[in-house]
Amino acid sequence: MSLEQQTQSIAVALIGNPNTGKSTLFNALSGVRQRTGNYPGVTVEKKHGTFRIGDKSIELIDLPGSYSLAPRSPDEMVAVDVLLGRLPAERKPQAVLVILDAGNLERNLYILSQVLELRLPTIVALNMIDVAQDKGVTVDAPLLAQRLGVPVLETRANHGAGVQQLREALAHIAAQSPPEYTSPFPPAFREEVAGLQGKMVASNVSAPRYLVERLLLDTSGYLEKELELGGDNFHQTIEEARARLKESGVPVPAVEAMSRYAWVRETLNGVVQRKPVAPPLSDRIDRVMTHPILGSFFFAILMLTVFTAVFSEYIAGVPMSGIEWLFETIGGLVGDSMAEGPFRSLLVDGVIAGVGGVLVFLPQICILFFFIAILEDCGYMARAAYLMDRLFSNVGLSGKSFIPLLSSFACAIPGVMATRVIENRRDRLTTMMIAPLMSCAARIPVYVVMIAAFVPYYSFAGGLLNSHALTFAGMYLVGIFAAVLVALVLKKTLLRGATPPFVMELPSYKWPSLTTVGLRVFEKGWSFIYRAGTLIFASSVLVWAAAYYPHNDAAVATWTPRLAEVETELAQATEPAQIEELEAEQGDLEHHIAGAYLRDSFLGRAGQWVEPVVRPLGWDWRIGCATIASFPAREVIIGTLGVIYDLGGEEDEASIPLREKLKSATWDGTDRPVYNLPVALSVMVFFALCAQCAATLAVIKRETNSWRWPIFTFVYMTLLAYCGAFIVYRIAAFFTTTPIVSV
Amino acid sequence: MMPLDMLPIGQSAEIAEVLGDQNDVKRLAEMGLSAGVVVQVVQQGSPCIVRVAGSTLCFRECDHLQIFVQPVASVA
Repeated sequence: MSLEQQTQSIAVALIGNPNTGKSTLFNALSGVRQRTGNYPGVTVEKKHGTFRIGDKSIELIDLPGSYSLAPRSPDEMVAVDVLLGRLPAERKPQAVLVILDAGNLERNLYILSQVLELRLPTIVALNMIDVAQDKGVTVDAPLLAQRLGVPVLETRANHGAGVQQLREALAHIAAQSPPEYTSPFPPAFREEVAGLQGKMVASNVSAPRYLVERLLLDTSGYLEKELELGGDNFHQTIEEARARLKESGVPVPAVEAMSRYAWVRETLNGVVQRKPVAPPLSDRIDRVMTHPILGSFFFAILMLTVFTAVFSEYIAGVPMSGIEWLFETIGGLVGDSMAEGPFRSLLVDGVIAGVGGVLVFLPQICILFFFIAILEDCGYMARAAYLMDRLFSNVGLSGKSFIPLLSSFACAIPGVMATRVIENRRDRLTTMMIAPLMSCAARIPVYVVMIAAFVPYYSFAGGLLNSHALTFAGMYLVGIFAAVLVALVLKKTLLRGATPPFVMELPSYKWPSLTTVGLRVFEKGWSFIYRAGTLIFASSVLVWAAAYYPHNDAAVATWTPRLAEVETELAQATEPAQIEELEAEQGDLEHHIAGAYLRDSFLGRAGQWVEPVVRPLGWDWRIGCATIASFPAREVIIGTLGVIYDLGGEEDEASIPLREKLKSATWDGTDRPVYNLPVALSVMVFFALCAQCAATLAVIKRETNSWRWPIFTFVYMTLLAYCGAFIVYRIAAFFTTTPIVSV
Repeated sequence: MMPLDMLPIGQSAEIAEVLGDQNDVKRLAEMGLSAGVVVQVVQQGSPCIVRVAGSTLCFRECDHLQIFVQPVASVA
């Protein structure tokens, strides 16, 4: 008999209100043995953790934080489906662990009363008892356990206190029988539930009692559609039942809150003692943080600090130059140690120039997510959303759109996924549509390279401000301004609707946990490296191949004979003046040959086709090609430009930073530089507004469950980007009659 | 009876009635805002911040969801 068979595995679902320390408890219980994924068809994260206790292995299933088990959307349905064992992809939990905030049992017991109806062995973790005591709240845990008929364990998950006792209790949980529990609903309601369930069983529709109850309570009609009851038959029955209940003084759906809160009040009678205490520190901080003037001022300073840190020479700059140096060294070593040919070209011009150019931005992404994680974990983010509500309600949105949009400054993918905290469908869609307009970290490379190379540097206000930083900020503002316009238009046309109500919990302030922040930064950083190693690697190789092949010698036949002559002469030459002259001619010829190969390549041929389209934006065919190649992921542009100008350049240029290569780029067959300030601005604005991210579009598709919205996003953003780049190019060209070269 | 967002900072009040679409009203109830509950104002205006039992919630009312309250004398 193997060890596996001896070990008994118990599946336990973890559920509770948001802001009860659920994730902290989950991490404390399962440690590093975690797996995350997604439930098919919805955006709910599937999180599993395992730990061993004695001869048993406990598999924890973390369900999304929720105030109620009353599904009104597919995302909320997941928790109910998991608990009832209705998901084929998930084993049915044998027990439930409910986490309660000891300081707010009045509300937390609401979801517990729903869980108890599921008739599964249940354990209660009474968390944050220390915080509750500070609020003057004391809880008689043994009395509560007696009332509920389930084990109640006190925990302080953030300090690891009570976690081991909880593990031991969970080891014995599956053997326990479900708690005795009488439904808090009035008899008339329970009879209707039983009647409806009977009818459903009679017509061979399987429905657990809890779902039948929800079916009666859900007047939004979501559940009826979800359960596919077939025809209007049941709809009629349900409507009749509700009408009968209304007549006998049981209003649906209000009866649920009434009955459950009555049960909560009865259960907590004598269990919770509240002593009047001075307003908690959290409230006193909030007086300042949420003050319309002081709070907004603090918010502005905070945002400025975050952005300064992300773009600072000293904080992000040091590791970035380190990474840049590393790739230059590798490129130099590989270039020197290999024979010339396609393989060396692939490694140096394709892989190292492409992937290295993107990985440079890892430090900035980590720093931005470090700040976001800290602000979220300490509870400030909800206050920022509160402050932002005043602004957002002018555009027809609510403060809930703030967090998704802020995350989008790092990456639109988590941003789009974060929109699921917005209950209102029209608001959620509008936020999703504008999230990709926030300048994400992948745009930073484009801005940095273009600004460093083509924006003249002036500093003013005593060195506090400079033209580079302002151009940078300007690009962010272009995106924000476009987002405001698009949101206004959408809320007046396609997604017309009144400004929805805004209710949100503000969690108590706490010290951010290093583990949580560290895990978050690691997760984001790793996914960026992963993308660089897969998607960007692959596209760099593809672009390299398109720009290298067919590598037809006939295309360069004009110069090769002369180059051979020059090389022979050079080998025999002795006069320094003669050597110098010959070397110059050699360099010139090599440049022509590289350019001819590139023009003759597949990419070059495609470029000539695309040139008329991008000409009005001031671009040459190389920028056009690089832009098209970067539609799957915009950061590819840097690698692509690196590859194109590397192949088009002289042999030893691999170690020159991209901005130098761009500066020396000329229009084909002339000495006129391709890039000047208007062209650089045009490229930046295009990248600020364009939907060049297949992953974001895929997430929008998954989130909305339709192709309509991603297609809409793609079309409107591409048009907006083209028009924006055209206008900016024309205006800038008008004001700068001569091309400006930076110092 | 007066709208919740008209209460001054520090004032306590009992929720008299929540008016609006029944699904919205129910969602508020699940978060702890329902008739009979005593709230205390932390930050006034629209949106306002209130303390309800052990939690802090912010709320902005709109045309189709309003909370009416009856001010009560603050305890201590």
